[in-house]
Amino acid sequence: MSEGDVVAKHVENLHRGLSALGRGEHPIPEALGNYRWTAELILATWQQAETGKPPTNGMEYKVGRSGGGFDRLAFKFLPPERRLPADLEPDLSIPLNRRPEGERIDIALPTYGGGMSFGSVSLNFMVARCMAARQLGTFTSTGEGGFPDALLPYKDQLITQIATGMFGVREETIQAARIVEFKYAQGAKPGLGGHLLSDKVTAEVARMRESVPWASLYSPFPFHSVYSVEDHKKHLDWVRTIHPKALLSVKVSTPTDVDMVAVGSYYAGAHILHLDGGYGGTGAAPEVAKKNIAMPIEPAIGKVHRYLVSEGVREQVTLIASGGIRTAWDVAKAIALGADGCVIGTAEMLAVGCTHCANCERGRGCQVGITTTDPLLSQFIDPDWGARRIRNLYESWKLQWRDILRSLGLRSIRELVGRRDLLLYRDR
Amino acid sequence: MAADAYERLREARGRLLRESDLALRQSGKTEAEGGCGVVGLASTTPIEGRHLLASLCQMKNRGNGKGGGVAMVGLSAREFGVSERVLADDYLLAVAILEPRVATEVEKNHVEGLFDVDHVKTFRPGRGATGRTDLPVPPPDVHAYFVRPRATAVAAFAERAGLTSLSPAALADEFVYQNSFRLNRAYYASLGEKRAFVLSQGRNLLILKLVGYGDQVLTAYGLEDMTAHVWIGHHRYPTKGRVWHPGGAHPFAGLHEALVHNGDFANYHSITKYLQQQHLVPLFLTDTEVSVLLFEYLRRTCGYSLERVFESLAPTTERDFEQLPAERRALYKRLQLAHLHGSPDGPWFFILAANPRREAGEATGFELIGITDTSMLRPQVFALQAGSCELGLIASEKQGIDAVLRSLHRDGRIDAPEADLYWNARGGSSTDGGAFVFTVRPVAEGGKGAGGGNGRYELVCTNKFGERVSIPGGGAAGTPEARVAETALAERVRSCEARGKGSAEGVAKSIAELTRILDSRRGTPGGRRSVVRLRAEEALERTFRSFPRLDAGLAPYRRIDYASRAAVGAASPGGTLVVDARDFPPEGDDSLARFFVEARARGFREVLCHGLLGQRFLGCGLGAGSQGFTLHLYGNSGDYLASGLDGATVVVHGSAQDQLGNILKCGRLVVHGDVGQCFLYGAKGGEVYILGNAAGRPLINAVGAPRVVLNGTALDYLAESFMAGDPLSGGGFAVVNGIELDPDGEVRPLPTPYPGGNLFSLASGGALYFRDPRKQLSEDQLNGGAFAAFTAADWDLIRPYLDENERLFEIRVEELLTVDGRRLSPAEVYRKIAPARRKRH
Repeated sequence: MSEGDVVAKHVENLHRGLSALGRGEHPIPEALGNYRWTAELILATWQQAETGKPPTNGMEYKVGRSGGGFDRLAFKFLPPERRLPADLEPDLSIPLNRRPEGERIDIALPTYGGGMSFGSVSLNFMVARCMAARQLGTFTSTGEGGFPDALLPYKDQLITQIATGMFGVREETIQAARIVEFKYAQGAKPGLGGHLLSDKVTAEVARMRESVPWASLYSPFPFHSVYSVEDHKKHLDWVRTIHPKALLSVKVSTPTDVDMVAVGSYYAGAHILHLDGGYGGTGAAPEVAKKNIAMPIEPAIGKVHRYLVSEGVREQVTLIASGGIRTAWDVAKAIALGADGCVIGTAEMLAVGCTHCANCERGRGCQVGITTTDPLLSQFIDPDWGARRIRNLYESWKLQWRDILRSLGLRSIRELVGRRDLLLYRDR
Repeated sequence: MAADAYERLREARGRLLRESDLALRQSGKTEAEGGCGVVGLASTTPIEGRHLLASLCQMKNRGNGKGGGVAMVGLSAREFGVSERVLADDYLLAVAILEPRVATEVEKNHVEGLFDVDHVKTFRPGRGATGRTDLPVPPPDVHAYFVRPRATAVAAFAERAGLTSLSPAALADEFVYQNSFRLNRAYYASLGEKRAFVLSQGRNLLILKLVGYGDQVLTAYGLEDMTAHVWIGHHRYPTKGRVWHPGGAHPFAGLHEALVHNGDFANYHSITKYLQQQHLVPLFLTDTEVSVLLFEYLRRTCGYSLERVFESLAPTTERDFEQLPAERRALYKRLQLAHLHGSPDGPWFFILAANPRREAGEATGFELIGITDTSMLRPQVFALQAGSCELGLIASEKQGIDAVLRSLHRDGRIDAPEADLYWNARGGSSTDGGAFVFTVRPVAEGGKGAGGGNGRYELVCTNKFGERVSIPGGGAAGTPEARVAETALAERVRSCEARGKGSAEGVAKSIAELTRILDSRRGTPGGRRSVVRLRAEEALERTFRSFPRLDAGLAPYRRIDYASRAAVGAASPGGTLVVDARDFPPEGDDSLARFFVEARARGFREVLCHGLLGQRFLGCGLGAGSQGFTLHLYGNSGDYLASGLDGATVVVHGSAQDQLGNILKCGRLVVHGDVGQCFLYGAKGGEVYILGNAAGRPLINAVGAPRVVLNGTALDYLAESFMAGDPLSGGGFAVVNGIELDPDGEVRPLPTPYPGGNLFSLASGGALYFRDPRKQLSEDQLNGGAFAAFTAADWDLIRPYLDENERLFEIRVEELLTVDGRRLSPAEVYRKIAPARRKRH
């Protein structure tokens, strides 16, 4: 069999399996999922990515079974007669720049794509995310590791990430994007920097990062140039000098003093404060770190939102949450807790067939071709197919968000920000 | 005796806490802050506060206007209206009155009856000579009481506190300390009402602070013309937005010292716990207050020498510990066992002004102290200047030091606006200990007692180990040889300048020659380099100012400044653009860096920029493909210079600061001096030549093919995670010569080519070429690297860069290859460090 045949056969099987399992035509595989990402949530995500609609076969698609956080929160919906009519389409767009000066950038839905680097994921998956972002009217982040030429057609959708390894960061890549994201820390592994193990550092990845093929790459923690809030301001001023028009996003994890960090970033000039809680990350993040270091995102959102309000600067900044946001419902709850919107990573991988098997750090560990740089495995995702599935997932989420808003009597997702009063905590 | 005093003090403070209902209090930090702008100065002659102004103004971008302060030590008796004796012997209790109604009550409860008051000086903001009150929060009135503890009150206190066995001086100190603690507890508690608090209480020491910037303290309280031997100043950068009182601003007072802090340590809570065990409780809840409590505890309560205090705060670790002599190792081990859990962890840098306790009649002098953390995570620069007014300086940035010197030079107080020696401390090291003390003390044969009798002082700078730091060549001004050399130089400068009055080629030649005099380490044997540089800089400045303005039509050299900068838009490009940097802001849309971007976009190919005052990001934003654009920088260039450079050439005619050449991709960077921390972080390419040293963390995470010649050395962490391929087939490398040029311009090896304990750690590519003919580098400095054979191919690779280095800095390759008078082969002189063979997974 030629390589093309091998790929075709594998892709055919993958697609068939995603479709059948997603529709619930087979028993739920026993080894699939965990308490946060339950098997049903995974299958429901596959199904939405195929149909563009929420499941109608009774599959749970809103919450997991973690026993806490989003899984215990619910909305206090209005009685049916007071809800907004079904033909009313609440506005889902959110602003990414709430400061009086600078470029106004609104995105059509309250989410954009999280940083996944070339090297950690395949180029085809990156292109698929870019295509989906363009069709949806939102952004996606390059992650750390450069800007492959294949992404240049999508530069209006791209967020250039500057992370602590500075891989692939040049004036050119900074100037190419409308938004520049500083990754100070990742909620899945705060204080540990980044790691791309040797198996994934192919010649092409090494070329992009200008490093040595097959040698593991470490991004340090923290930025060696930033050890204080005034260093942080200088860091932002630097990139503002290189690209004065860029919106600046500051991604931090959620330590206990995350509120102080957030307000410091605001005063340093950030347009977007991106809080990354402890429940995100792929299988490449060390197990011991995930869920064990950073604060969960739910309390962090409230803490930061309230502090920014008390400082009188909440209206000047876009607060974005990530790290364990799985569903449209999680997004809506995060917004009610005080975020303006969310960043999504894992759910987009699920849309193209991720099974949450957590073998992401290995060169040939990803059997569906997402977190790999292997030339064969990388072909499993056709960019058009991937983009369609990602877009479908969000189309389904948009239906759900509009439904939620109508049920709360709200005409815009912006009206939901910080409405903790609309949430209730469900006891066991 | 010391142990007894320690126990008694500890018990007495336990009682104090119980009385104050604070014994079991859990203290949480309510304020978070990080970096700040700090500056300190010690001088043999009293210095007016205005000389700090420029420095603090220039470093404003290190604060956010929510706290500023100064401390002064070694005050003027005349300015305070007291006798020398009162100034020297009395405690100076300075109380900030936030709530005017409590002033008399505070006086009644905490001054009268306890002290004999010799004099009161009241500082009312806005009433000084140039006082201003255009501040968001009006600064408080400050009552400064010159007081002597009353014998009866002290005796009663000693009895009550169980401190009768203390020496009279130690007892008086504790009496004053506990009174201030009670005052703060009653009128200022971090969580309660804030009506008054003690700013400082030491002898001949005063702290003033407010909500605003550090320089505003000087103007608000009218300190511009007040003098002191030691000053420290601080801009604060608290993250909280609303700050309504200056209690959290720096400096914080111990008893005999004032401390400013740049950083934010990670273990505030554990240090607070540690201090609680000593019955010391912070009332202002910032880590700076905790820092001074800790310092004061170690010095006054434990009775430690400064060396022991430094070791307790910034312990010597790893390879540096092993390098210590056995006696020190034994002592430090004991100190670490006792204090490691109470030592601040994370980024911190302290500057203190102190007037330590002395027994009656004894004169120790005033101190300026800088202490850096073991990992050197905060920027810091030290400097020393000789001359009729000897100076020691410490600041976050070199430009902060130079701003003070420029101001003093303008007033004719010093010979040159640059110091004779600049250096960075190696935190927690075996080489300098990472801490330096400048002591200003009366010259012995003069008067006796503090205040100096006939007023003559000397300045002594020592490192942690008490070893004296001196200026190479002694900064020998005034010797006949020096005068001859200076006269010759003046003549050379004059003739250069004169040649520059004619043709365009003449001008170019003149600028090149004057620049060479400015940069050169050779050719003025016996002369002070700071004076040489001054003469050349003055001549260049006159030359630049003689050029026509940009809008005056085409000319080989045209000048522009901030006010006329818009003219660049309409001007026809061509010739050299000469930019006066003075009024350009340090960052932002109107910054000098953005102006350079515009000048290049308008078609200018060469820019000479003079009068720099620490402006940041120069050479950033030019974008890819900026080949053919050249930037010459004169004066104090700022942080992040050439960070992102992708084609252009940047030449710094002097020392540079921190974060140079981050992500540098392509182009050329030449620095005729030292570079600061975090140099070439994430660099990808380019050719870089540095005449002097780099501070900590150079070349971290560099990839691709950067090619670097560093003639001095680096403090530590050089080329960590270096990933620059194979240098023999297109990858990157750094040549580290480990030399300096002595005052006569001769090549002299540094004590070691590399003092750090971390070299090439985790590196997977690239190479380091060290000039190490004595084989001083050892395996234990490497972690991931290995010594590799230095071959003819290696020499062929680095030779062209050393030739260029010779052309730029007059450091001859022949000299580099000559060791103890013998010409050796390259392989005998240079050693190669390459990645160790990797284990395959």
